[in-house]
Amino acid sequence: MTRYDYLSPEWAVEVRKKLQVDLPAEKMKFITTSMSNIYTNCPDGKVRYLFFKVEKGVFTEVLVGEDDPPAADFRITGDHKLFSMISQAKMKSQRALMTGKLKLRGNMVKALKLASLADRMNAVIATVPTNY
Amino acid sequence: MALKKTTEKQDPYFIDFPGRVAKVQKAMAAAKIDVYLGSRLRTASWITDAFCPWRTYVVIPKKGLPTVFTFVIDAARVADDSWLDDDHVLGYAPMGGMDQIPLVADFIREELGVKKGRIGVENGLSNYLPEGVLTHFEYQQFEAALAGADLVDAYDIIDKLSLIKDEGTINRFREASRIVDIGHKAVRAALVHGGYKGKTETEIGGIAAHAMRKAGSEWEWSFTGGNEIASGYRTGLAGGACTPASRRRIRKGEPLMVDIHAMFKLGQGDHSHNYLIGKATKRQKWHAQNFVDIVTLTLKTYRAGISPSGLAEKMMNFAEAQGFAEYMVPGFEHGIGMTGDEWRIGINDGPFPFWTNPDHVYLENELIICAMQYACPDENIGFRYENPILIRRKDCEPLSRYPLGVEEIA
Repeated sequence: MTRYDYLSPEWAVEVRKKLQVDLPAEKMKFITTSMSNIYTNCPDGKVRYLFFKVEKGVFTEVLVGEDDPPAADFRITGDHKLFSMISQAKMKSQRALMTGKLKLRGNMVKALKLASLADRMNAVIATVPTNY
Repeated sequence: MALKKTTEKQDPYFIDFPGRVAKVQKAMAAAKIDVYLGSRLRTASWITDAFCPWRTYVVIPKKGLPTVFTFVIDAARVADDSWLDDDHVLGYAPMGGMDQIPLVADFIREELGVKKGRIGVENGLSNYLPEGVLTHFEYQQFEAALAGADLVDAYDIIDKLSLIKDEGTINRFREASRIVDIGHKAVRAALVHGGYKGKTETEIGGIAAHAMRKAGSEWEWSFTGGNEIASGYRTGLAGGACTPASRRRIRKGEPLMVDIHAMFKLGQGDHSHNYLIGKATKRQKWHAQNFVDIVTLTLKTYRAGISPSGLAEKMMNFAEAQGFAEYMVPGFEHGIGMTGDEWRIGINDGPFPFWTNPDHVYLENELIICAMQYACPDENIGFRYENPILIRRKDCEPLSRYPLGVEEIA
């Protein structure tokens, strides 16, 4: 079984495929939204982003990079170590937000509507064989 | 399905909220203010057209729509009630980046691009607890989070613009008063023919509330415990004019004061009616007649061009001549506006900061609550009159139409 390096372009492609299969549009409530996760304190000292775009419930883009992330409805900033815990479904994103470990930018009410979906996403992402 | 919003001009309760915002922005430009950061309940009501019971910040940019920040548990409801959409009513919560100070400050700095300049805030003082001026802590926190910008007092922008009421606002007050009158009818029906026996003040408050809610009132809005009901000695507390209902039972031979409140689209109804339970004594009737006489004269006197002090002087001269001046609690009115605009009349230009200027000259289409308290603690008797009145050029319009009088109820 292929294992992917966390936040590598290949990992992002696999994550998108998995999300499309495991979270079809119906399960994603046909929403249209976008989210940029900003990873600070990456092991190499860099800042990286993980960007998701969902159109009518379909994951159309999962991008990783080091430059400025694409504009998104929500921008979540946190430590690389913390995000990797969330990606492994070892920590709930809501808990990380409520304890101030993650910083959210965007419409809070809309974010709350998507909170349960975020945890579903992370549960799927956790199934991608990954070298964290 | 979303609630119907009052956005059609032909609606009697229509208020031109975008027009209000444009006037605020014009006044901001004149005062060289880059962003208005409102925090008072009156500002939230006047700008959003929604009841905002939680700490709310109203951010008005130089151009474009305001953005409102309120506690997240109520943000979707406020957006549903307001003319503003859900992109302009945002929630704050104790989450990373989402607590109120950084959220609002980041919005001002990054979304509005205001990193320097003048930010108008609502500093001040009030006797009304839910006023909502910035706390010292908030001021310090915003000052730090918005370093590079100056925080300047700007509450007078809203105060000046909200002084004269538009037709939609006046109609909301008229409807709230009509609802209050329904409450009074229900209370009277419950009291007559011995119905008062065994009833408590809280129960009377509830009877009024039930009737008013059935008629569409959203809230017994007064922060003084909703409907204020007082019986016996509580009607005549020395210098008093605030009586949250107690569990005291209504008794024969005593006065009863029924001061009830309804809210309709943030317009406030507030009317007091008074009773003497059982057969009244000659002395009780004398007090009652004094009260009715002075209320009648006061209502006849209100018009544009007079001032609170001028009116008070005339009324106290009358009370003195009739021999009951000692029973009049000072003051004949208090200010009123959309929810949160309470107590102070006019703008903050009097001898005591943030209190009514006694020499404020009333203008046409100001709304005030005519508020009079007659109190004789030694005899355990008192009466209260409250009624929103619209100041007109030559007279005033009392919005509650409930007949004036102190009724003897058997």
